[in-house]
Amino acid sequence: MRPTLRPFAVIGVALVVFGPLGLILYQSFLGEAFFSPTARFSLGAYRYVFTDSGFHSAFGTSLLVSFGMTLISVPLGSLLAFLLVRTDLPGKKLLEPWLLVPIFLSPVVLAFGYVVAVGPVGFFSLWTKALIGRVPWNLYSLYGLIVIAGLTHVPHSFLYVSSALRSLDPSVEEAARVAGAGPWRIAATVSLPLVLPSILFSGALIFLLGFELFGLPLVLGDPAGLLVLTTYLYKLTNLLGVPSYHLMAVVALAIVALTFPLVYAQRRMLRTAGRFAVIGGKGQAFRPLPLGALRWPAVGIVLLWLAVTVLLPLVGVALRSVVSQWGEGIQLSEVLTLDHFRELQGHPNLIRGILNTLLLGGIGGALSVAFYAAVGLAAHRWQSRWVSFLDYLVMLPRALPGLIVGLAFLWVFLFFKPIAPLRTTLFSLWLAYTVVWLAYGLRLISASLLQVKPELEEAARVIGARQGKVYRDVTLPLIRFGLVGSWLLMFMMFVREYSTGVYLLGPGTEVIGSLIVSLWGTGALDLISALSVIEVAAVGLILFIALRLGVRLDA
Amino acid sequence: MPDLIARDIEKQLGAAQVLCGVSFELQPGEVLALLGPSGSGKTTLLRSVAGLERPDKGKIEIRGKVVFDAASGFEIPAEQRGLGLVFQSYAIWPHRSVFENVAYGLRLRRASDAEVRQKVGDILKRLGLDHLADRYAHQLSGGQQQRVALARAIVYSPPVLLLDEPLSNLDAKLREDARAWLRELIKQIGNSALYVTHDQTEALAIADRVLLLDRGQIQQEGPPEEIYGSPSSRFTAEFMGSNNRVEGKIAERADGRARLEGKGWSLWGKLQAEKILGATGTGLVRVERVRMVDGGGENHLKMQLTSALYLGERWEYVLQLGDLRMRAWGETSRPAGEYWVSIPADGLWIF
Repeated sequence: MRPTLRPFAVIGVALVVFGPLGLILYQSFLGEAFFSPTARFSLGAYRYVFTDSGFHSAFGTSLLVSFGMTLISVPLGSLLAFLLVRTDLPGKKLLEPWLLVPIFLSPVVLAFGYVVAVGPVGFFSLWTKALIGRVPWNLYSLYGLIVIAGLTHVPHSFLYVSSALRSLDPSVEEAARVAGAGPWRIAATVSLPLVLPSILFSGALIFLLGFELFGLPLVLGDPAGLLVLTTYLYKLTNLLGVPSYHLMAVVALAIVALTFPLVYAQRRMLRTAGRFAVIGGKGQAFRPLPLGALRWPAVGIVLLWLAVTVLLPLVGVALRSVVSQWGEGIQLSEVLTLDHFRELQGHPNLIRGILNTLLLGGIGGALSVAFYAAVGLAAHRWQSRWVSFLDYLVMLPRALPGLIVGLAFLWVFLFFKPIAPLRTTLFSLWLAYTVVWLAYGLRLISASLLQVKPELEEAARVIGARQGKVYRDVTLPLIRFGLVGSWLLMFMMFVREYSTGVYLLGPGTEVIGSLIVSLWGTGALDLISALSVIEVAAVGLILFIALRLGVRLDA
Repeated sequence: MPDLIARDIEKQLGAAQVLCGVSFELQPGEVLALLGPSGSGKTTLLRSVAGLERPDKGKIEIRGKVVFDAASGFEIPAEQRGLGLVFQSYAIWPHRSVFENVAYGLRLRRASDAEVRQKVGDILKRLGLDHLADRYAHQLSGGQQQRVALARAIVYSPPVLLLDEPLSNLDAKLREDARAWLRELIKQIGNSALYVTHDQTEALAIADRVLLLDRGQIQQEGPPEEIYGSPSSRFTAEFMGSNNRVEGKIAERADGRARLEGKGWSLWGKLQAEKILGATGTGLVRVERVRMVDGGGENHLKMQLTSALYLGERWEYVLQLGDLRMRAWGETSRPAGEYWVSIPADGLWIF
């Protein structure tokens, strides 16, 4: 790529980020939907939303959920990170990939899994009731939602804390050990305090993700009448009978107004985080801290978390997909069936949804990686104000929940007539997905590019290769494995994606995730469970391939 | 016409002025070493010549053709300068075989397949790499990688060969062999070469001319013997070789010489800087010039030997006279005691 072409990559990104956002802003200042001929400038939507008690309580619930889940996942994630990175925990090589699995599972599938596993008439609830005479938990409550959101977000905290711990000089721990401290004391007084910036960073991240939750509160909050900001936005669709786009725009902006400062704060934190680190010699062999008698309780903690967070919902979904009905007094062995999977064939839209999901993940994921790679290469070793602009630019999509990006792109395709026909094609979904995962994808690419030593590119330049040729002959071949890894990761992310497709859902744009969301409203548990099993199986297969290829999941 | 001319090169990196107006010329067939401690700007200077860094000021010409001129903002990008560069890390492309690494420059120059095969074959043979043509970087030893990097840089006959610490990643033993071999090769192909190194022995051994850099400025420039044998500045004197340093007062001056005096001793030396009588001066003498002698004489001192260290190929004596400390080398072990030590006046430079 010639240097003169580079700004176009940045402009392209700016277009797909600012376009939809600008449209939301514009819509929020109209009195009705933008396509209505009588739409006029009005602040009515703001007035309505900000005085609506439903909005107030949704805001309060969102805040509580965010706080609560942060308080659960940060300590637990940090503890798991310490155990897996710094100690001689038995079987840690085996356990580690599992710790990141919840990231690749669709929250709406997990939520559904919890409902059928430990909901009021879930498998485990009824088995427990048969055993002790009552169900000692209530899934449909604020606490249930907070606990499950907290447990499923442990990997996000684990990811950041463990990578910080990995770069911590082991001699600071050895010094504490020699001075007489045991492993828990070392964790509490040396290791974890030293990576405090990363712990706080992961806290800010999880707090942010709390505002973007959609699948969990939709499924778990609904029966208890709990609305958070995103589900409030979702319910607005049906509130007035006519498309209440102006109100949705205001709620969407309110969410962005909350999340954007959090993203910005994180960026600031990340910049200072590096200064605290005690970086040791690279590749230095060190002996992990011996846990002694505490080894087995420690393994117990990890396994318990895995069982509750991964096994429980997945077993629930799997069981539900093979029983014809379930309730009190039903014997599992009497209701086993594969009918639900056969039933899928009677719904052409569901079959299309499965194919679309795989297409979007496989081919769409590859195209997205190509797009991210083009942007990443444009910014690669380019000292320019364009690059710092790009840095700020990719922060925006991080503040945008998939639900809102999907909504915004629906409007974009309705608003700009020349591209309107694309709305009912997979292209609209692909574009929205690409924007939602922009920051993640670019991070994957730049992580690969960072591995390329500058001399390898300089050598080709000095020998006489132009910039474009250097990328083609040296840079791209060197990161090809990273590109394949990025593709597999995007594949999984696109397959599990559910919220972005909610508003774009229509004939031709069905995907498993958004079909589950829309089926949830109709209570078609049989179909949901079958679709969920297919989605989890697809993700599981790709995950297996990725792990076999040695792809790092913690990018 | 020189192969390379650099004029008043200045470069600022962040807050640091890395190069403060460096000028030099490289004659055809000449090997010029850029020598200096880390942070002296030598690598930045080489990268500026290659086109990988853009100096803030100055002008660079290759074979009479301007490739960079800050005054007019003119710059030919690195890929069009046609130079050859050997990187410190070798930068062998791990995804290409030895043959394809070396062939790359020829292919870029649209050489025919037959020509590529012939030229690459020739150069690999010459460097003793012909049996490794199909290997990849990770299958090569450090010395082999270094030769691949060299082959890749010279195969298309660049006007100037640039070498950035090419031997510093080799083992000490291998390095000594490679030194002689590398100089021979460069002389054989008749190329002019700009050679960056922080290792003075390497610079002295390999170069026809040495350019000593410190903090972005040229401290001294000349043939190796001159740089080592008659340093014009205190920095050059101290940077090169192993030295004894004596501090004293100028007690006497006569035709370019001066007598340096301290507590209980006085020594004649060559005056290398303007000094008035009574001023403090620093005398520097290479350790190998200090000799143990049998009796007194001019510039002989009676010193106390406090310890003798065995260094393998020689002994090092540590000698003391009041606050004056000297190191000297010799062939035999010596017990502690008083000895006469000769410090030749033409070997003691006073700054």
